[in-house]
Amino acid sequence: MKKLIARTSVRDNIELSETPSYPIFKELYEKQKKAIWFPEELNIQQDALDYHSLSEDEKDLFDTAVGYFCSSELLVQNVLVNSFFPMLSDPHAKMSFSTQLFMENIHSDFFEIVLQSFDMDREKMYQVAFKDPILKKKQDLIVEEIDKISYGKIDPETLQGKKDVLRAILLNNIVMEGIFFYSSFAHFFALKDMGKMKNVVSGVELVLIDESLHLQNGIESILIMLEETPEIAEDTQYVNEIRDIILKGAYLEIEYVQTKFKNKIILGITGSELEKYLKYITDRRLEELGFSPEFHINENPLKFLQKEDVKKLINFFEVSSTEYTNY
Amino acid sequence: MKRTVIKRNGSEETFETQKIMNAIFEILSGMDVEDDYEIVFRIMKELDLKLPEKVKTEEIDQLLLKAIEQLIPQHPMYDKLSARQLMKQINKKIDRRLGDFSSYLDEGIRENLLIEDLLKFDIDLLSSSMDYSRDELFGYFGLTTLRDRYLLRDRNGETIEKPQWFFMRVAMGIGNSNEEVIKMYNKLSRLEYLHSTPTLFNSGTPMSQYSSCYVSVVDDSLDSIMDKAKETAFLAKHAGGVGTDVSRIRSTGSTIHSLNAQSSGVIPFIKMYDTLINSIQQGGRRRSSQVISIQPWHLDIEAFLDLRETTGNSYFRTPSLNTKLWMPDEMMSRIENGEPIYLFDPGECPELVDSFGDDFAKKYNERIEQAENGELHQFKKLEGQTFFKKYLFKLAKTGHPWLIFKDEHNRKNPCPQYSVINSSNLCTEISIPNRPDSTAVCTLASLNLSKHVKPDHSDFDWEKIGDSLKTMVLGLDNILDKNFYPSEDARKNTMDLRPLGIGVMGFAEALVDLNIAYDSEEAVILARKLGSFMREVCYEKSEEMAEERGAFAHYDDVAKNRTGYEYKPRRNAVLLAIAPTATISIISGTTSSIDSYFSNLYSRDTLSGKHIVINRQLIEELESKNLWNDRMANLIKQYNGSVQLIEELDGVIDKEVYKTAYEIHPRRQIDIAAAFQESIDQAVSKSIYIDEQMRSDMPDIYTYAWKKKLKSTYYCFVDKVIRGEKYTSSVNKRGSRSGFSGSAKNAKQAEAVGESANQTSAKKRGFGAAPSKPEAESNEELIVKARSKFGDDVVNEALAADGDSCPTDPMLRKICPSCE
Repeated sequence: MKKLIARTSVRDNIELSETPSYPIFKELYEKQKKAIWFPEELNIQQDALDYHSLSEDEKDLFDTAVGYFCSSELLVQNVLVNSFFPMLSDPHAKMSFSTQLFMENIHSDFFEIVLQSFDMDREKMYQVAFKDPILKKKQDLIVEEIDKISYGKIDPETLQGKKDVLRAILLNNIVMEGIFFYSSFAHFFALKDMGKMKNVVSGVELVLIDESLHLQNGIESILIMLEETPEIAEDTQYVNEIRDIILKGAYLEIEYVQTKFKNKIILGITGSELEKYLKYITDRRLEELGFSPEFHINENPLKFLQKEDVKKLINFFEVSSTEYTNY
Repeated sequence: MKRTVIKRNGSEETFETQKIMNAIFEILSGMDVEDDYEIVFRIMKELDLKLPEKVKTEEIDQLLLKAIEQLIPQHPMYDKLSARQLMKQINKKIDRRLGDFSSYLDEGIRENLLIEDLLKFDIDLLSSSMDYSRDELFGYFGLTTLRDRYLLRDRNGETIEKPQWFFMRVAMGIGNSNEEVIKMYNKLSRLEYLHSTPTLFNSGTPMSQYSSCYVSVVDDSLDSIMDKAKETAFLAKHAGGVGTDVSRIRSTGSTIHSLNAQSSGVIPFIKMYDTLINSIQQGGRRRSSQVISIQPWHLDIEAFLDLRETTGNSYFRTPSLNTKLWMPDEMMSRIENGEPIYLFDPGECPELVDSFGDDFAKKYNERIEQAENGELHQFKKLEGQTFFKKYLFKLAKTGHPWLIFKDEHNRKNPCPQYSVINSSNLCTEISIPNRPDSTAVCTLASLNLSKHVKPDHSDFDWEKIGDSLKTMVLGLDNILDKNFYPSEDARKNTMDLRPLGIGVMGFAEALVDLNIAYDSEEAVILARKLGSFMREVCYEKSEEMAEERGAFAHYDDVAKNRTGYEYKPRRNAVLLAIAPTATISIISGTTSSIDSYFSNLYSRDTLSGKHIVINRQLIEELESKNLWNDRMANLIKQYNGSVQLIEELDGVIDKEVYKTAYEIHPRRQIDIAAAFQESIDQAVSKSIYIDEQMRSDMPDIYTYAWKKKLKSTYYCFVDKVIRGEKYTSSVNKRGSRSGFSGSAKNAKQAEAVGESANQTSAKKRGFGAAPSKPEAESNEELIVKARSKFGDDVVNEALAADGDSCPTDPMLRKICPSCE
C-alpha cells in the first residue's frame, strides 16, 4: 500500500474506495462540508459605525489582525497547492485538503469584504505581514521552510523527504493555523466581548470553526506519517527540532503580543494575559502531537473565551447568526 | 511586581492591593457567602493578570469588573458581584454631577431629553417612593443591557439615569396620576412586568413612540407600493418592527394593462424594501426590521423561498429582511393528503387574497378547475409534499420563511366586520384586522411569571398575577392616547380597535420553582390554566374600563350602523399576545417568553456583546446538595450545558426539570404553545428547537403545529452539528496514538523537558517581573511552613495548581491574594 505522502502522478488515485484507507479524512471532509459558509451571510456593513468609533489602539489591533489574515489566508493556499498537494497519495485526503483549500478561499473573500467595507488601505493591509518587523519574522518562519519542499525540490519517497514534508505541514497547519491564527482570534473575540464589531467577529467565529478542522487535518497527517514511518520519530535530533520549531513559533507570537500590548490594556486584556494564553495554546498543540507540555498552563486565562465553547443563542434581529447550517 | 497608579491629576502613587481588596469586601457586604476571603482571593488572582505596570485610576474599576465577570460561570454569586460592581460604577459617575431624582429631571428637561409634562406629578412624593435596594434584583447581563441601551444619556453620550430613575421615568410617561405612577413604578422596579423595548426607550421623552410593531398591507398598485415604502421608512426610523403583506402584488408575467406589458412580479419590490430597511438600520439603539409576508399560492413563491439564500442572483436576495408564509388550511390539507397544490397570480385571482377558511377552499378549488380546463392565463401545479419538504429545508438552512396559519388567525378575529387579518407582525404574535388604509399597531408588555410564584413554591400567587395584569391593561390603554403615530394609517387602526398585547416571560423559570418539568403533561395543564386566567382577568378589566372610558370605536360603530358584536362592550378589541421577549427577559434575568431554558450554560449574543448565561436554579440545587464545584461546572460545559448524561446526578436531582431546549420533543414545545393559544386572543410567538437528529421529522412537526391550532410559529432552531475546537477545555485529538512520544526517545524527551522547565522558570521571572524569593529558602521548607499555617488540603491543592498563577511565590498562589 502507498503511504499517505508519496510520489504521485496524474494517473494515481482517481478512484474512491468504499473502505477508505484513511477513514479519518473522509470524516474530516464531511465535517468541513457541513461547516461551509459564505461571507454574504453576514451583514458586515452594519459594523461601519463601530469601526469608526474604535480607539486608536483598538483600531490598530483590528487592522493588523485583518491585514495579517488577508495575506496569510492566501499564503496557506499557496502552501497547500504548491507543496503538499502533489505528494498526497490518498483520494479522501485530497478531498479533505481541497475542501480546506476552498474554505481558505472563503476566508480570503471574507477578509477582502471586511477590507472594502471599512474602506481600509488595501496596499497597507496586504503589506502589514511583511512590513511589521515581528510579523515578518513570523511569515518568514513559514515561508522559508516551506520553500524547501516546493516545486519538486524533495523526494517524498526518502526518509529525509518525508521529514521535510512533515515539517512543512507542521508549520502550515499547526504553527500558523494552530498558534498564530489562534492568537489573532483572541483579539477579535475580545472586541465582540466588548460589544464591538459584532458582525465581523461573527464571521471570525465561523473562521475559527473552519480552522479548528484544518488543524485536525494537519494533526492527523502528522500522526499518520509517524505511524507509517516510525523511523521519523526515532531520530531524536529531528524530534527535538520539531519541538523547537513549535516553541520558536510560540515565542515569536509572544514577542508580537508583548510589543503590541506593551504596558497597555486594550479591550480589557493585557499582554501578560495573552502571553499566558499563548502558552496554554502551545501546550495544547505539543500534547496533541505527543510531546510533553512546555509551560504547564492548564487553564485558559482568557476566560471570556468560554463564551465560544458553549451553545449560542442569538438575538436574531440584532446580530448575524453563526448557528445555521448550510447543509 | 511593582505597580503604579496614575491618578486623575496625573500624579503617580504606588498601587496598594489592600485598597482593592477593601473595595471587593465592600461590594461583598451583606451577601450570604461561606468564605468571603476565598472569594476576594479568587478575584484578586484574576485581577492580577489584568493589571499592567502602570494603570489609571479610572481603569481599575473597569478591570476589577472584568476580573469578577470572568468568574461568572463558576458561581451565580459572581454574577451578583459583577452586577454590584457595575451598579457602583454607574452610581459613582452620576453622583458626580446629579444630586437627586429631581435634578436629573431638570437636567433632562433642560437638554430636551425629557418632556416638561413630567413635572406635573408630585416629585417629592415620587422621590420618596423610590426604593434603591431594588437595584439588587438585577443580574449582571440585565444591568449591562440596561446600562448600554436603556438608561437615558445626555447629548455627550454620558449616562444620566439610575435604574430606579429609569423605572420611575417610564411609569411617569404612562400613569395618569401620582397613584397610578407609584403603582406602576413598584411593579416595574420589582421586575414583575416590563413594557416592550420601544416603551422603555421612549416613555416620558419627546420621542413618545411606545409601540413595538406595525402590520401593513400593500395593495396591487405602484401607488400603494411606494406609499407603503414611505410609511415603512418612518415606522422603521422610530424603532418599530414592520410586518408587510405583499400577497396582493401581481406575479411575474402578469399583465399591466396601463402599459400593455408584463409585470416583473413581486420579488423586485421586496428587494426594494430590503434596501430601504438596511439603509435605516444604522445609528439607532436597535436595528429596525421588517418581515414580508406572502400567501404560499402566489405564483412567485419559489423565488420567495430563496430570498434569504446567500448565493445566487443578488437582485433576488434580501439579507436584511425577514420573511414568512401566510398559510391557508386548504393548502396544508393538500400537503397532508399528498395532493398537488396550485400557484396563481393574485392579479388574475384577487378573490383568493381576502378569503379564508371554507370560503377560500371553495374559491381555490374553482380556480384549480379553471386551470385544468385551460381557462387561466397563468398557473403552476406542484406536488404538495415535495413543496413542503423544500420549504422546510429552506427554513432549517436560512431560518426563513416562518410558517403562520392564515385561517386560524382569521377564525378567531373578533372584528370580522372591520377587515380580515391580512398578516402578522415581525415577531408573529400580533393578530389584528388590517387593510391597505389601516395599519395595525401593537403596544406590548409582558408579565414576569417568575416573580409571581408563592414564596413556599407551592403554586402561583394568582391574586398577585391578577393585580399585575390589571395594572398592565390600564397602563397599555393609557399609552394608546399618548403614543406618537408615525403614519395616519397607523393612528386610524389604533383609534378604531385599541388593541393591546399582554404576554408573559419567565414561564420556564417559574416551572422549575414549582418543581414541574417543562416536558410534562402537568406543564401543559398549567399553561392552559394561565392562559385562561389571563384572559378572564384582562377581559374583565377591559369591560370595566369600557364603562368609564367607552368601548373601542369600531364596536360602537357596528352596534349603531350594522349588526353589533355579540360580546360585551370592552375597551380593547384584543388584549393578549405572547411575544418572544428577547431583550426584556434579559433585563428581568429570566427565561424568555414561554420557552424552556435554552441550555443550562450558554452564551448569548446581543448588541451589548456576548454574555454567559447559567441556570442559577440548577446551581443552587446542586450547591444545596454539595455537588457544585469546578469539576461539575466543567462537566456541564463538556456536555454543552446538559445534565442528562451526567451519571452521578442520577437520582440526586430531578433531571427532567433541567431538560434544555433541544432535549424537549418539539411536539411538547408545540403542546405548551397550543395550551396558551387556546385563550390568547392574538397569537403566541413560538420558536421551535429541533435536534439535528430530527431534521427529517420536520414535516411531521410542522403539520402537528397546524393540527394543534397554533396560529404562528417563529424561528426554527436546529442544533448545530459542527462546532469549533473547545477553547477552554482540552480535547484529546490524538487518542492513544503516540505521535512524537514514541518510546525510543523518551529519555531524550525527559531531558528536553527538564531543560525547558529551567528556561521557563527563568522566563517566568521576566513574565511576572517580580523580585524572586531568596533561593536559600527551598521549596520544601516553604511547603512545610505552609502546611503548618494553612493545613494539608489547601497546600496540596496549591501544589496541584498551575505553575504560572503566582509569579512571586508558587507556594502561596492559592492562599495569598497579591503578589506584593
